[in-house]
Amino acid sequence: MIDFSMYDFQAPKISAYRCDTCGAIYYPAPMICGKCNKRRDPVTGKSWSTFDLEGPCTLLTWTRVWNLPEGYTKKFLQFGIVQFENGLRASGRVEVEEPKTGMKLAATVEESDERPGKPVKIFVFK
Amino acid sequence: MAARVGIVGIGHTRFGNSSEYDLADVMAYAATDALQDAGYLAQRKEIDQVFVANMASGMFCHQSAVASALISRMDMEPVPAELIENGPASGASAVKIGYMAIASGMADVVLVVGGEIMRKVNGWSATDIVATMLDTDTEYNMGLTLPGFGGMFTRLYMEKYGLTERDLALVAVKSHDNGARNKYAHVQATCTIEAIADGPEADVVNNYIAEPLRMYSTCPVSDGAAALLLVNMDSPRAKQFAKKPVRIAGVASATDTHCVHNRKDPLQLNAVRIAGEKAYKMAGLGPKDISFAELHDAFVILELAISEELGFFERGKSFLAVRKGETRIDGRFPINTSGGLKSKGHPVGATGVSQVVELVRQLRGEAEEGRQVKDPKYGMSVNFGGFGNNVAAVICAKD
Repeated sequence: MIDFSMYDFQAPKISAYRCDTCGAIYYPAPMICGKCNKRRDPVTGKSWSTFDLEGPCTLLTWTRVWNLPEGYTKKFLQFGIVQFENGLRASGRVEVEEPKTGMKLAATVEESDERPGKPVKIFVFK
Repeated sequence: MAARVGIVGIGHTRFGNSSEYDLADVMAYAATDALQDAGYLAQRKEIDQVFVANMASGMFCHQSAVASALISRMDMEPVPAELIENGPASGASAVKIGYMAIASGMADVVLVVGGEIMRKVNGWSATDIVATMLDTDTEYNMGLTLPGFGGMFTRLYMEKYGLTERDLALVAVKSHDNGARNKYAHVQATCTIEAIADGPEADVVNNYIAEPLRMYSTCPVSDGAAALLLVNMDSPRAKQFAKKPVRIAGVASATDTHCVHNRKDPLQLNAVRIAGEKAYKMAGLGPKDISFAELHDAFVILELAISEELGFFERGKSFLAVRKGETRIDGRFPINTSGGLKSKGHPVGATGVSQVVELVRQLRGEAEEGRQVKDPKYGMSVNFGGFGNNVAAVICAKD
């Protein structure tokens, strides 16, 4: 018997990285810690840990782009840079009607298949 | 002491749409012009080294190894030739590496050629190809593009310093005034502040691209090539050329975080500032010594921000100088006398070389009537790669 509950939908996540030697956090991950010079092995992840980058964030700046690249069928998309409560920053989509610099948002992660190739994980700030 | 390096030949195609032509042919045209300018066409096989600047011929033209193709087009075998790829800063990087080849003693005569054919693909595809220079996972995959970062940077600057969309339009009007007189410019047409900012149709004529950037705040997608012949001014071979050299007084580059969001202050263009400081130090000069500048205005906000990072204006004050006309051709400090990327165009691999061609034209006194700077002594260019993550600066001197 197959237990299909094993194949529950897995919500997409985007990871940030922590150097276990000195505690510095990064997004995206460097190959060498900028604080303590510890190497990161991208295969084993030894000496580094990951955590989900999500939740409350503040919008630092934003734009509404009208000339989207090939693959995008929407009239426009909004993009922004946010800062999380842990100090990390990220770029992604902004899905609020009237974005304003400094507004509080929540970071979610979705899959995008707009471009050719495998779907990719994107931040959507709502 | 390292050899002094001078420029004895310049070549340039008219930027615009050359999509019916082969990239190597377009680059060879500019290179041949540079050799003819130097009176060195027949001696071209005596050139010690060729450096070719190109960003993305593999994607734009489905063509690789363009340095080899260029050599054959020009019947220059067996001169060594290599490709330099550094995004939109490929051109100035090739100039820097050409300088290093001569200063190191490995070469006395170096040909630098920059070129790009971007219009073989449609505009959406060109935007996508250019965006591949962004960080793949954290920027490109999100759907971000270079105009997107330009828009976000502009909004930050506006909110901090009080810049207006009209100020951006004033920069464009100034650049188009220069480009309209430049025989090499893509868009050889003026525009008025009424048409693109003040008039009732301005919203239509000058529509948004990446808010608050509008069409007249961004450069066109262009094809074209530019070339320079560099020489060791201290070598006996320097006497072979038809033109008196324009000396490269300073050349330097610097990098910043690949991901824009990882900059402590996203309004500071550290790579511009550091490349500029290094170039000034090498030249023994400061911003007050520079007569005019060619700055990488892929988005007009960058002309303003780069001019501040280089010390030409206080931070947050450059647009006030634009309002007073100080950066016009007859102003206190002319900027983008060629028309800049905004009007002259921006074939990405060619731009850094093209900027230096303009420095040489101005320093020789060869610019067209109406856009010649009066008695310039030093010109400076900044070629901006990525969204400021890899930047090269060049200072040229009329000795």
